[in-house]
Amino acid sequence: MSRISISLTVNGERTEVETEPREHLADLLRGRLMLTGTHVGCEHGVCGACTVEIDGVPARSCITYAGSCDGASVRTIEGFGDDTVMAALREAFMQEHALQCGYCTPGMLVAARDIVLRLPEADEARVREELAGNLCRCTGYRGIVRAVLGVLAARRPRSGHV
Amino acid sequence: MTAEPGGLGVGASPRRKEDARFLHGRGRFVADITRPGMLEVAFLRSPIAHARLLAVTKPAGQEKRVFTIADLDGIGTIRANSALPGFRVSEQPALAKDKVRHVGEAIAACVAESRAAAEDLAAICVLDYEALPAVSDMRTACSPTAPLLHESWSMNAFLETRRDDDVSGLDAIAAAKVTRTLRTSRQCMAPIEGRGVLAEWDPRLEQMIVTTSTQMPHVTKSGLADCLGLDEGQVRIVSPDVGGGFGYKGILLPEEIVCASLAIRLGRPVRWLEDRFEQLTAANCREHHYVITAWADRAGKLLGVECDAIVDAGAYSSYPFGACLEAAQIGSILPGPYILPLLRCHTVSACTNKPPILPYRGVARTGVCYAMETTLDALARQLGIMPQAIRLANLVPATAMPYRNLVGKVFDSGDYPESLRRAVAAIDVDKIRARQAAGETVGFGLATFCEQGAHGTSVYHAWGIPFVPGFEQAYARLAPDGVLELRVGVHSHGQGLETTLAQVAHEILGIHPDQVRVVHGDTALTPYSTGTWGSRAMVMAGGAVAEACRQLAERVAAIGAALMQVSGADVRVADGKVQRTDTDGFVTIADVARTWYRTPQNLPPGVNKGGLEVTAGYRPDPDTGTHSYACHAVVARVDTETGAVVLEDYVVVEDGGKLVNPMIVDGQVMGGLAQGIGTALYEEMPYDTEGQPLAATLADYLLPGTTDVPDVRLDHMETLSPWTTFGQKGIGESGAIGPPAAIVNAINDALAGLGAEVMDLPASPSRVLAAIQAARAVKA
Repeated sequence: MSRISISLTVNGERTEVETEPREHLADLLRGRLMLTGTHVGCEHGVCGACTVEIDGVPARSCITYAGSCDGASVRTIEGFGDDTVMAALREAFMQEHALQCGYCTPGMLVAARDIVLRLPEADEARVREELAGNLCRCTGYRGIVRAVLGVLAARRPRSGHV
Repeated sequence: MTAEPGGLGVGASPRRKEDARFLHGRGRFVADITRPGMLEVAFLRSPIAHARLLAVTKPAGQEKRVFTIADLDGIGTIRANSALPGFRVSEQPALAKDKVRHVGEAIAACVAESRAAAEDLAAICVLDYEALPAVSDMRTACSPTAPLLHESWSMNAFLETRRDDDVSGLDAIAAAKVTRTLRTSRQCMAPIEGRGVLAEWDPRLEQMIVTTSTQMPHVTKSGLADCLGLDEGQVRIVSPDVGGGFGYKGILLPEEIVCASLAIRLGRPVRWLEDRFEQLTAANCREHHYVITAWADRAGKLLGVECDAIVDAGAYSSYPFGACLEAAQIGSILPGPYILPLLRCHTVSACTNKPPILPYRGVARTGVCYAMETTLDALARQLGIMPQAIRLANLVPATAMPYRNLVGKVFDSGDYPESLRRAVAAIDVDKIRARQAAGETVGFGLATFCEQGAHGTSVYHAWGIPFVPGFEQAYARLAPDGVLELRVGVHSHGQGLETTLAQVAHEILGIHPDQVRVVHGDTALTPYSTGTWGSRAMVMAGGAVAEACRQLAERVAAIGAALMQVSGADVRVADGKVQRTDTDGFVTIADVARTWYRTPQNLPPGVNKGGLEVTAGYRPDPDTGTHSYACHAVVARVDTETGAVVLEDYVVVEDGGKLVNPMIVDGQVMGGLAQGIGTALYEEMPYDTEGQPLAATLADYLLPGTTDVPDVRLDHMETLSPWTTFGQKGIGESGAIGPPAAIVNAINDALAGLGAEVMDLPASPSRVLAAIQAARAVKA
């Protein structure tokens, strides 16, 4: 099997790695880079458990070839240490019981953070639509949706009577 | 319900102790664990449902990396027997031997440095087989001309059961009689994490250590030891974080046996991680077929029910619960929460060329509830009475509790009619009727049911499965620093037991849950347990932890009293302290722990030499099970052009007895409900006539997503169980039981004006449209 050399930035650190053409990004992250917070659920791009950020945009690492990430900047659940939006989401996920087994949670958080930043005015229907690509088999989604809505609401400038 | 500041004990909703690691990606699932020198396994699996295996040709030069059953001589077959009379037990080899009996059955294990390389090996093995006709339809599986899956059997059935009350006189006296033919789909449990197995042989301990994603590590240990010919001390099962179970991980896996056997033979750690294709084609659940007749008097009071049911149990009897866990329970669950005078019921657990059925959250009850509740609505329509009226006419009243029904189930406590009244009151039924009158296809549906949970020895011994649950044990130890360690043999995989068991300990000892460590998922560290299934963990392990903490409290009190130089009668344990009852004086539990471990010279004479560690056992008395119950009320709108169903409103009134953690209970109900909505509207694993699965990706097998599950309104009643430690009841499966019945009843109410009725699950757009078209055809 031929190998290709790539260089990518993962959670702020530049990394040079060799990969096989068929290796997907999730396997690279979880294997040699030992970032096991990214979970593999279906390996065909449906469940969203493997969602990471590639160049600032959520992407499914299970259907992204590692070789295609040469020069890219990748952020995984382990790479949000000082991010205030992620901190607020984690807090809200605990508060709203938005996780049970925790397997879908990292992907769900990456997707949720993107919604919070990209759609500050999103209502419940929009949040549900945006999260429809992340499957959770435990919670029935109520806590997840409430957590995202709670973070969105808290970030809006207070309006109303002066 | 959200997390609440304040309370920490039983009945409070503190935040979960387990959340932080998952939120930071620090959970540890099997796939996250590697070992030096570890090899990966890919299985060569059967592409055909039924065939005689002739040969597996291994790739040239790679023969030592491919293993068939012939290479694993000495390993035993999986046998999940039952004491039920007439049960035929299957012999399930860990790798196919002579025959394959379903698509996806493992034939050979291919071993390589990476999974990809192992899959390459599997791809170039050559399989020789002689195809046999497949048995793909449970309704014809038992016909005399059907080919036999297990050739020593006389017919393709694991078991038949009969209850023969005489219902022949009911036609003459009944005001209403309906017969329905109903079907539920074959489903996949589909936890987001698949199964995974990492097996390693420890030559020093002469022990097989298997890290595996399981709900029942101890049962797996016993089953594995048996199949490998090892003694139980030579097998240790570690079940780390588990990404959802739902029954799918309540089984001894052929893959566990194979990986363990390979690790011994190869002298290297061996790992297998299930992929989604393997998962969707490996095991199924729930395919029921009913012909059900019910009779009622003018007021809607049930006179009797007759039911002929078949469950497609697949090719093998899975360990430990066996192939008849669904069908054999239909007769006992059919009466539901109602007073039923007569029941005639015949069931068959059919053996077909499909993967074996496994327990799935709700086990049998989801299908039975669907059959009974849709039939009740059909009766109500015939009688011209409201669905709530027919239920109120038959529900067991609170004054009759505890109530023993005609099949011998004992309901412990509750006010079933009140749950129904509350649910109906939460819905504006008049408004729905007005919308219907205006021509809208909107409907209102109900389902009432009860869920037996934590049923123990007295129930399962009659069933005679390999593991009859007995006393549940918990181990509690105070460490020298005063931290309490609890060890339990149940497993937590989303239920939050690391939090709720700490709450129980806090309730008894007053130790802050942050100072309580709950250890589970390792047979080397925890007391034996049949594990987490059957909505039993909070009743059984909760009771055992409470008992262990009580015994520990007595020992702590004795030492604490001596340290304060007072009599044991003058102290009590609370708030993490031994407190004098006459003054404000106290010593902390940590002081007591320090004394026992570090300054034993200060211990009183006659101190209990058992120290600060206790193993206590618990079983409710009677152990016939708790019965939580619920009423689901649904408003559904049907698009008659597309067949799409929109759930406009969903109300659940649930009674789980004392709620140890209301936030977590809500989460269990909500999560089960989403699965139930999947059963009702989306999930279906179809098989073609050749036994080929037709939904092998998550793009074909539809799991409910965020837009499919409404923000349900949950209401609780809290009728204590008289038989459990805090009055708590098992409630883990309840949410998954009611939705198909309630939703289809709402759909059928919406379609009643068209004369259409959906019978089969899921009520997908195509089935809804077919029902409408059939009704139009009848009218035309």
